[in-house]
Amino acid sequence: MNIFLYLDENTWFHRLDPRMKIIGVLLLFGLIMVFNHPLYMAAVALGLLVLGAAAKALPNFWRMRYILALLVVFSTVLWPFFAKGPTPLWSWGRLEVSRESLMYAVAMGLRLASFVAAGLIFLSTTTNEEFTHGLIRLGLPYPVAFAFSTALRLVPTFAGAGATIVQAQISRGLDVESGNIFQRAGKFIPLGVPLFIYAVRHTNMLAMALESKGFNPGEPRTWYLNPQMRRADYLALAFLTVLFLAALFLRLQGYGQVLPRL
Amino acid sequence: MGVAISIQDLSFTHAETTRPALQHINGEVEEGTFVVIMGHEGAGKSTLCYSLNALVPRFFRGEYAGQVVVHNVEVARARVAEMSRRVGLVLQDFEAQLFSTSVELEVAFGPENLCLSRDEIERRIDHYLRFVGLAEMRRREPASLSGGQKQRLAIASVLALEPPIVVMDEPTSDLDPVGREEVFSVSDLLRQERRTLVVVDQDPDTAVDADQVWLMREGEMVAQGPPRQVLTDLALLESCGVQPPPTVALFQALGWPGQPLTVEEAIALIRQHNLAQPRPLQSPAALTNGRPVILELRDVDYIYPTRAVEALSGVNLQIREGEFLALVGQNGSGKTTLAKHLNGLLKPTRGEVLFRGRPLQEIRRTEMARHVGYVFQNPDHQIFSNTVREEVGFSLRVAGMDARTIEERVAEALAVVGLSGYEDEVPFTLTKGERQRVAVASVLAAQPQVIILDEPTTGLDYRHQRSMMEMLRDLHRRGHTVIIITHSMWVAAEYAERAVVMKDGRVLLDAPTRVAFAQEPILAEASLRPPPLLRLGNWLGTSGLTLEAMVEELR
Repeated sequence: MNIFLYLDENTWFHRLDPRMKIIGVLLLFGLIMVFNHPLYMAAVALGLLVLGAAAKALPNFWRMRYILALLVVFSTVLWPFFAKGPTPLWSWGRLEVSRESLMYAVAMGLRLASFVAAGLIFLSTTTNEEFTHGLIRLGLPYPVAFAFSTALRLVPTFAGAGATIVQAQISRGLDVESGNIFQRAGKFIPLGVPLFIYAVRHTNMLAMALESKGFNPGEPRTWYLNPQMRRADYLALAFLTVLFLAALFLRLQGYGQVLPRL
Repeated sequence: MGVAISIQDLSFTHAETTRPALQHINGEVEEGTFVVIMGHEGAGKSTLCYSLNALVPRFFRGEYAGQVVVHNVEVARARVAEMSRRVGLVLQDFEAQLFSTSVELEVAFGPENLCLSRDEIERRIDHYLRFVGLAEMRRREPASLSGGQKQRLAIASVLALEPPIVVMDEPTSDLDPVGREEVFSVSDLLRQERRTLVVVDQDPDTAVDADQVWLMREGEMVAQGPPRQVLTDLALLESCGVQPPPTVALFQALGWPGQPLTVEEAIALIRQHNLAQPRPLQSPAALTNGRPVILELRDVDYIYPTRAVEALSGVNLQIREGEFLALVGQNGSGKTTLAKHLNGLLKPTRGEVLFRGRPLQEIRRTEMARHVGYVFQNPDHQIFSNTVREEVGFSLRVAGMDARTIEERVAEALAVVGLSGYEDEVPFTLTKGERQRVAVASVLAAQPQVIILDEPTTGLDYRHQRSMMEMLRDLHRRGHTVIIITHSMWVAAEYAERAVVMKDGRVLLDAPTRVAFAQEPILAEASLRPPPLLRLGNWLGTSGLTLEAMVEELR
């Protein structure tokens, strides 16, 4: 099982500096927050889809299709009851749905999907190391960044060991599929203890290996990854900033809004 | 030539233990030579390796006496990070050493720590990946590599620091035969470069090429010398839990002249002294024990849901009650996938699996656990209890048996694996060999007719391998059906009656063991080779599978 979403392609998006990508994705998140009119949101979502295609991240969109669809559907169904608008369509006791709240709900569905899409584009085009390296260049201390990236890296390793442990205990007659929640919690011990011990052994070994390769978190080191902010990075950054500010300006002028809220 | 490593009267006792891990070790390694360290589990081999790059006493604390000098640096006074430029250490567990998301970054890590320039790091990545034959894999994720490739990557990541001395702690013990070959070809290259090489290895085949063999027992150095001297002292090797070269053992048992360390040498000696006449191999009759079929696979295909690759294709297999069967083949050939179908852990994509004629889908998993026991490769993947008693009785408690029956069955299972009296021990504190036995006992307690073991001897020393296999032979004599998955050819040859050779998800060869091991070209197709004794046996035309049987025939 691969929990990482990185797709090893060589698009212009992959080649961008990770610092630019981190700031860029934050700007995109900002942009996604600006409008709450479904048409405007649809434009943003469409833009992200085009960006996703350009970054060759669509296979991950496909992989996440159920989550994306669920977000849109649930939000469209649930939001109308929580937002109140001036033009009522239907009401039942205290529950009421208005034309505006329905439109707002569709916009919220698109907004959530857009959030996921922006995140997916980032993760599809940035490796774990590039991400942490970007964070370091943006000022995060190296030991913190190293711990963060190693933790991320260990997740699939432990997941693999966990799967083996489950199979080993099933082979000994452990029934993991039946029983209520309390009975199931009791079954956690035969699974949790070996995994915990595995994790301790594994990390201990890793620490030895790191030291043996001259690792010393407090000391200066050099980097093989050496991303440079190029013209393309500054252009992309400028473009996104202008886009975000323009959107913000429009919204403040009253465009792209069905309800006077976020 | 200068001295690379000099060890003087080194003793070390781990903190919080009383038994010394190393006692009065002395030794000297010349620059550019190759030393192989052998000994039983717990003999202190790893501790000695760690003392060469300051992990002992810097990482492992304890009582340290004596001196280790590496290229004029006293190790105990240096930090591990400083030593990393002088001594490259490759640990046994290669999985735990790799932590990057791409092959090139894994190699870059060491040079980055040395503060090298980007161009130099680039050069080293390029050079060392080519050196270990992974240049094509540069952008791959380490997790997606095979065992042999991972170990070679671990070696490259250490070589990138360009240490003049390379130390490898059992670099091949978790690998299949192809992986072993890959790693050995890298260590050959290192020798050609005249780097100093220190390798811990269990296999006498590796030691044959060494300049010096160091033999350890209970933390002490019991012999040091050229292989021809150390590897021919069979009694000493046995006392250290090390497998003697089988050809030497054969010649000594027959009183033949010479001490051949390899099959080629043995053949030359036999020809030279006309010791025996090669004859055609008498094939034993095909084996059917006449007992009913207990497990059967019919046209089984299996495709892992996450990968689109066919892990099994068109497998047909009948296993009779009371057989002793070995599944052999490379990693990824489908052995484990096949075995997991036998207790219902995996369900075939196409085809069916029958237990005593009943399709497996009709039988609950918890019930299958009582018929077919499955011991996983790593005992640590299942041990969780505070006492051996609780651990072994687990499956019985789950099945809801009463306390007295559980007590009886636990005692019985522990007696079978030779751990009577260990009931109140804490499983985690036992040795690897003992933990492996606890795992077997915990499966045996349910009294399954069939017992499947995935790599029962991997990670054990020769002594523990022998006693594990003797125990399985004993189970087999009591009427159990025993199925082992193994990379160890001598284990398969000496203990199994029937060998099933797998390749690319298919059964390549299914025959009585002696017949299977006579088919050297077919085995080669699956990248396997018979063990040394049987290679000699194939040349001589002897039908025995063990040393004793061959001695009997040739006397």
